[in-house]
Amino acid sequence: MSRVSVRRVARVLEQRLLTLVAALTAVVLLVLFYYPVATVFADAVLVDGRLTVEPIATILTSEFYLVDIIWFTAKQAFYSTLASLALGLPAAWLFSRFEFRGRETLRSLTILPFVMPSIMVAIGFVATFGRNGTLNRALSAVGLPPVELLFTLEAIIVAHAFYNAPLVARVVTAAWESVDARTVETARSLGANPRRAFRDVVLPQLLPSIGVGATLTFIFTFASFPIVLALGGFQLATIEVFVYSRVRDLAYAEAASLAVIETVISITLTAVYLRYEASQRSAGGAANPLPRRSVVPSDWTPKSTLRTVGIAGYALVVGLVFVVPIASMILASVTGGDGGFTLANYAFLVERQATGASFQVKPLPAILNSLAFAAGTLVVAVPMGVVMAVLTTRRYRGRGLIDVLSMAPFAVSGIVVGLGLLRGLVFGVDVLGTRIRVTGALAIVAAHAVGAYPFVTRNVAPLFARLDGRLVESARSLGATRTRALVDIELPLVWTGVVAGAAFAVAISIGEFDSTIILAEGAGSYTMPIAVERFLGRRLGPATAMGCLLLLVTSASFLVVDRFGGRWGEL
Amino acid sequence: MRRRSFLKAAGAGGVSALLAGCTGTGGEQTTTEASGDTTETTTATTTEGTTAGGESPTLTVGTYGSFVDAPSSSPGPWLKETFESEFDATLEWQTPDSGVNYYIERALQGVESGADLYVGLDAQMLVRIDQKLDEALFSPAEGLSRADEVNEQLNFDPQGRAVPYDTGYISLVYNETYGDGDFVAPETFDGLLESEYAGALLAQNPTSSATGQAFLLHTIDAKGEDGYLDYWASLKENDVRVLGDWEDSYNAYSNGEAPMVVSYSTDQVFAAESGEDMAKHQIRFLNDEGYANPEGMAHFADASNPDLAAEFMDFMLRPEVQAEIAVRNVQFPATTTAELPEDFAQYAQEPPEAVTFSYDRLQNNLSDWTDAWAREFARK
Repeated sequence: MSRVSVRRVARVLEQRLLTLVAALTAVVLLVLFYYPVATVFADAVLVDGRLTVEPIATILTSEFYLVDIIWFTAKQAFYSTLASLALGLPAAWLFSRFEFRGRETLRSLTILPFVMPSIMVAIGFVATFGRNGTLNRALSAVGLPPVELLFTLEAIIVAHAFYNAPLVARVVTAAWESVDARTVETARSLGANPRRAFRDVVLPQLLPSIGVGATLTFIFTFASFPIVLALGGFQLATIEVFVYSRVRDLAYAEAASLAVIETVISITLTAVYLRYEASQRSAGGAANPLPRRSVVPSDWTPKSTLRTVGIAGYALVVGLVFVVPIASMILASVTGGDGGFTLANYAFLVERQATGASFQVKPLPAILNSLAFAAGTLVVAVPMGVVMAVLTTRRYRGRGLIDVLSMAPFAVSGIVVGLGLLRGLVFGVDVLGTRIRVTGALAIVAAHAVGAYPFVTRNVAPLFARLDGRLVESARSLGATRTRALVDIELPLVWTGVVAGAAFAVAISIGEFDSTIILAEGAGSYTMPIAVERFLGRRLGPATAMGCLLLLVTSASFLVVDRFGGRWGEL
Repeated sequence: MRRRSFLKAAGAGGVSALLAGCTGTGGEQTTTEASGDTTETTTATTTEGTTAGGESPTLTVGTYGSFVDAPSSSPGPWLKETFESEFDATLEWQTPDSGVNYYIERALQGVESGADLYVGLDAQMLVRIDQKLDEALFSPAEGLSRADEVNEQLNFDPQGRAVPYDTGYISLVYNETYGDGDFVAPETFDGLLESEYAGALLAQNPTSSATGQAFLLHTIDAKGEDGYLDYWASLKENDVRVLGDWEDSYNAYSNGEAPMVVSYSTDQVFAAESGEDMAKHQIRFLNDEGYANPEGMAHFADASNPDLAAEFMDFMLRPEVQAEIAVRNVQFPATTTAELPEDFAQYAQEPPEAVTFSYDRLQNNLSDWTDAWAREFARK
């Protein structure tokens, strides 16, 4: 009897699991995102308790804000997106179509830029592209004139590509690897040449993922801020620079208005993209990936030679933009004040660990907290993201709105979210005479999940959309619940997307700073990026040493996530 | 209602360890409220040491991160240890990421401050506080026995809330070895506009960085309210680099991106400590002036331990404590009675003349000056 009822409960749970996760997602979003953000956005439309459009109208009628700030911000985001695509797409091609030693490891490591604090990127970039940087020393070694790249728009664009090209590469690689080889074979057997087969068969299957990469890159670089000031300067100020300045000056009406306008632009773009993604429904697409070839061709035809030269050239650019800045940072961590080699910075970390006061940041707890929050985020964000992807690919009234609302965490200024969390959760809300506050580890994990789950959704949804709907229908007609159909039929087919999304979720959590420091309950719940910031001083050594630890720990966890995730998918 | 809570000694080790866990010493905020009624006590605690019940009061002090947790040295740990060894009290540091804005924000949202004292105020912050808040965030410091030891010129709060405990001077730091190895910084603000100094100066965003703000104010003092924007237009033309914060610009300076950076006049103290080449750390006071930015402490109007807060302030003004703060925070003492160690005094340079805007001058102007600057400089 009891066994039957347990089974029944399990059955009901299984039937309702999707709804349950969707409802939980809604609650988490409401508490950790929509409500906090609303407390800040209200300042844009409420003055002394009265509804008004005045603050927003003031900005929209200001030539300075419209042309010098908003238009410029969009322009640099557009260029940054182009640069990220140019740098990211060849990587996707290499990762999905070629076989070479260390491919999987390298692919795992493409996540690293995502977790790098902006000051670390600034340090690496100054050392690479500066007046006395690696690039200029290399140029002068071969007799070429130096380039002045720092403190220009170009420097900002390259730094944005540093952050976002890996995003493009990862998303597109996941899609490319799930292109069904048979579709290409069919086209070829019908007489299409390789180029035609690519254009007509492969490219349409990649476009949604390229669209995701481009849209996200635009949105992220549209809201970029510390890197703009570190490598460009205030003359290249973006909207977010002004949002920050206004918040610091407690000029909330203006700050909120700027942030609202910023969000509307990003949301509109997201909506446009989502409409496009929804229109891309093609049947087919099972896990039967295209064959890989060797980077070094077996016979040197003019075409294969050209390809190899191209790959070599691309490797050189990647080396300059990614490897040298990161290597420079590692070098900085072992360089002393006199320019010589030293381990003093690492000794500092050890000493701080051993003797630091309770109110100071210690390296080990920071590492452990980062890992714990990342694991928590993984567990929360992946189901949230997958379920939202399922909802996204269903057809129902108001779906478009749900789609857009679920992507909103990408479109709202991090400064606004931080201020909202402070007002809404840290200070607390009076409910029936009790002040309810939400802080600490759980709140941090939930906040990270809010920032991370849209990555899962966007990685998985395009793959879902390509699945043959009849697969699920058949399973359901044979008696499978929706949950079982999802787990047994669909997930294995979109697994590359799930793993890609999971990796992003972990990266978002490890790299997150704004919400973490606000929700942290003292030094005990600080994470690695906060430790990096705290260890910044006149000498950069201690901070760079902590930054290197951050890279090391992150690399290790990514190798684990990708390997483990990949294996699990093969089971 | 005050929600400050005190550890009950009677509760013994286990309980206090638990509480220490959730009160988050020195963190973003204490979370005593979250733990609810159990930690809330209505016990009025005397501030002069131990009460009969064996409870020792907690003094909660808000400050900025590097005052308690800098990689080089910071006064926080020493102050806590010394203060606690003498007074039967626990000193708890709070270091919210947004500094004093965190407490202003609490007040704006109608939440109690949750601290007794704030360390690290300057005139600009006071102006901001008074502009945004109708009710007093801080109370005047009354009855300090050492108030008259403070260098009169450093007092920056006409209402007597903030008591200066140290001061710094913002100046240029320059690198003699730059270029052909004979670089000399200009002596005046006008000199910065010469073509030989094109792209030679790194400064910081005045809307978010203390040094950047001080440098902007210095140019306003030198060029006048009506002239500073033109001056900055010329600086921009001469490719001055205004980066985000001090770390950004000092990193670029250290990497040889430019021969001059806006920084503190105590730069050589650090340089001497880490064995750097002094030629790369020369100090220049433009127009023979340095912009003084005294830092002050004040106790919150809703402090639960105002008397203990006052004792802490007097403690901070003691000659030997002043010297420690100065050395550990790499600034100058605020009192006339402090004596600095010789090696420190040798490298910490003071300008021939210190300039600074009074609170009254800043009061209705600071925001306008900064906004006008930002709109001018960010014009594409």
